Amino acid sequence: MIAEEALVNELKNKETQTKAFEVLVNTYKERLYWHIRRIVLNHDDADDVLQNTFIKVYKSIEGFKGQSKLYSWMYRIATNESLTFLKQKSRKLGVTSAEMQEQLVENLQADVYFEGEEIQLKLQKALATLPEKQKLVFNMKYYQEMKYEEISDILETSVGGLKASYHLAVKKIETYLRAD
Amino acid sequence: MKKNHKNKFKTPEGYFDSFNERLLDKIVKEESVIPPDDGFSAPDGYFEYVHDEVYKKIQPKVIQLKNYRKYYFAAASIAAIVILTLFFNQNNSQSFGFDDLANAEIDAYFESNDLNFSTYELAEVVTFENLSIMNIAESENSIDEDILLEYLDENVDEIEDLNLNYDEFE
Repeated sequence: MIAEEALVNELKNKETQTKAFEVLVNTYKERLYWHIRRIVLNHDDADDVLQNTFIKVYKSIEGFKGQSKLYSWMYRIATNESLTFLKQKSRKLGVTSAEMQEQLVENLQADVYFEGEEIQLKLQKALATLPEKQKLVFNMKYYQEMKYEEISDILETSVGGLKASYHLAVKKIETYLRAD
Repeated sequence: MKKNHKNKFKTPEGYFDSFNERLLDKIVKEESVIPPDDGFSAPDGYFEYVHDEVYKKIQPKVIQLKNYRKYYFAAASIAAIVILTLFFNQNNSQSFGFDDLANAEIDAYFESNDLNFSTYELAEVVTFENLSIMNIAESENSIDEDILLEYLDENVDEIEDLNLNYDEFE
């Protein structure tokens, strides 16, 4: 684990900024990619959003006050960028968010970077029926194996609320997967 | 880090605090019909590529010379011709002098007329004796040599017309 405070100071200092940013990108690129990918589903879209996330982090680091962890702050930016990206995409296509979610899942069947089988496809269909918050919490907990405290920092929601959302999400997905 | 004073073994910070949560997650996963892997993959070498792409995007951008710049130079040269012509003809002209022309009228003239001057014609009226291309290339806000050559290559039909001293580029 990198020493966050030192890294933030280096990121704010013009002389050490480039090197520190390299450390930052190398440390978080994979984790943030998988977080984004599970929201936008498509690899190319995830790539765009990931790059925009890092650029936003680079440009806004001066304004980072250290009230939350750098890690949480970056995840928050990545989450917002992903959700904004999806909203813009649905507006551009002239469809509702729900319709677009269905479309994204349908497209997964032809996606070379989706190696899932029928059960994984069904899982994505189940996830598409969940409210945004439940979907986020489920992915962060079940597949990214994050702690409730970490998710709470990122989504700015109480741990109790998150636990409720997660258990509801698990129940709904299990019911969906068990159904024919 | 938590130390065990009897045998000196250590555990990571917060290990026991999160133990229950991790154990419960494991039990939920083992009993669940939800697959342990959700099937997403990324292209080979993607994470090396994305690192380089992000870097390219945060580098300060070099402002490219735009095509319209050459029209500015042409307009400035023409302005010089007009000013000089008017100045020398001032004595012969009883009714109008340069002072009678408003700047807006001069600007409007340049905007509405296609002044198709060749590089040679411009070179005849504008003296470059004290200005060489190297002055621009070596000035404080210097333009990258490759960009300059690329610009000239794309925008000047006959690069030889510029009479560049090629020795300076060797």
